[in-house]
Amino acid sequence: MPVRVNETSAEIAKETLQAWKDGSVRAFEEIVRITMRRAFTVALGITGNEEDARDLSQEAFMAAHRARATFDIERPFFPWFYRILRNRCLNFIRSRSGRREISVDVLVERPCSGETPEGSAIRRERAEAVWRAIQELTPEHREIIVLRTFQELSYREIAETLGISEGTVMSRLFYARKALYGLLKDVCEDPDGEGDDRA
Amino acid sequence: MRYLDGEMSSDERIEFERHVASCDDCRAGMREMAALERLTGMLTIRDPMDDFWERYWKSIFRRLERKIGWILLILGAVMIAGWQIYHAVTDFGRITFGKVALVVLIAGALILLVSVIRERIHQYRTDRYRDIMR
Repeated sequence: MPVRVNETSAEIAKETLQAWKDGSVRAFEEIVRITMRRAFTVALGITGNEEDARDLSQEAFMAAHRARATFDIERPFFPWFYRILRNRCLNFIRSRSGRREISVDVLVERPCSGETPEGSAIRRERAEAVWRAIQELTPEHREIIVLRTFQELSYREIAETLGISEGTVMSRLFYARKALYGLLKDVCEDPDGEGDDRA
Repeated sequence: MRYLDGEMSSDERIEFERHVASCDDCRAGMREMAALERLTGMLTIRDPMDDFWERYWKSIFRRLERKIGWILLILGAVMIAGWQIYHAVTDFGRITFGKVALVVLIAGALILLVSVIRERIHQYRTDRYRDIMR
């Protein structure tokens, strides 16, 4: 089943956040369970590898738990946590530059009824091409594409998560898409693809 | 961008559409971005199985548990070392503090041991490849 990550920090009750700050492991578990899909997906988008995404997002939760005294429960949890996660992912990429292993089977096509096996194979190929192209983008472009395209966050939510203005979100997203289009020009203009996009 | 992302008000949309209809550059740019949107819009990131998520939290919990175990173990070792030094210097012969340190040390070691055993049992039960010769 495809993931549509839409848990928001607003769903974490203040009481839970306070209990977590006070050291409750049960509250920590609740927070992790609410946000783990989102954390994993973001890490996967940045690193491109499933195992790395799992390890890094878990480490980020551990780091967040250690730093919980600095968290302000009046503010949303995920943007605060996201900074920890993002730093870990970017440090990891820097340390492994040139030696990244990309998982190619993490992207799936949205269900499409009445599709032929051939059509399905073409869609599979295109999914891999898109994923590889995303992984060729700079980390900043990659993360904003993931937040908008795969997490389906609004500009406001992206701005909150990244700690930047909505104007910066718009311009960064524009350049990220331009770069992605440059890498996928042939696939985007493939007339065979047009037919089954919205089948 | 805002147009494609549904971030414009209806008035802004009408105005934008009017502009695009009369601007070749904007129309070409829109066509490119719409093609990209169609391509990425039909894809999504695969959600791992439920089992993955169950293991996800357990793995975090195990790491937490082990950390506590290590802290207690190291604390106990430091206490014992401190006590030994103190004992050697003063030779008071009082062992109450030493007993406490020993209990802390054993508690830490036990937590680590239980955690490792539990993980091994879990791995053995869930490892689909355990019968394969390496």
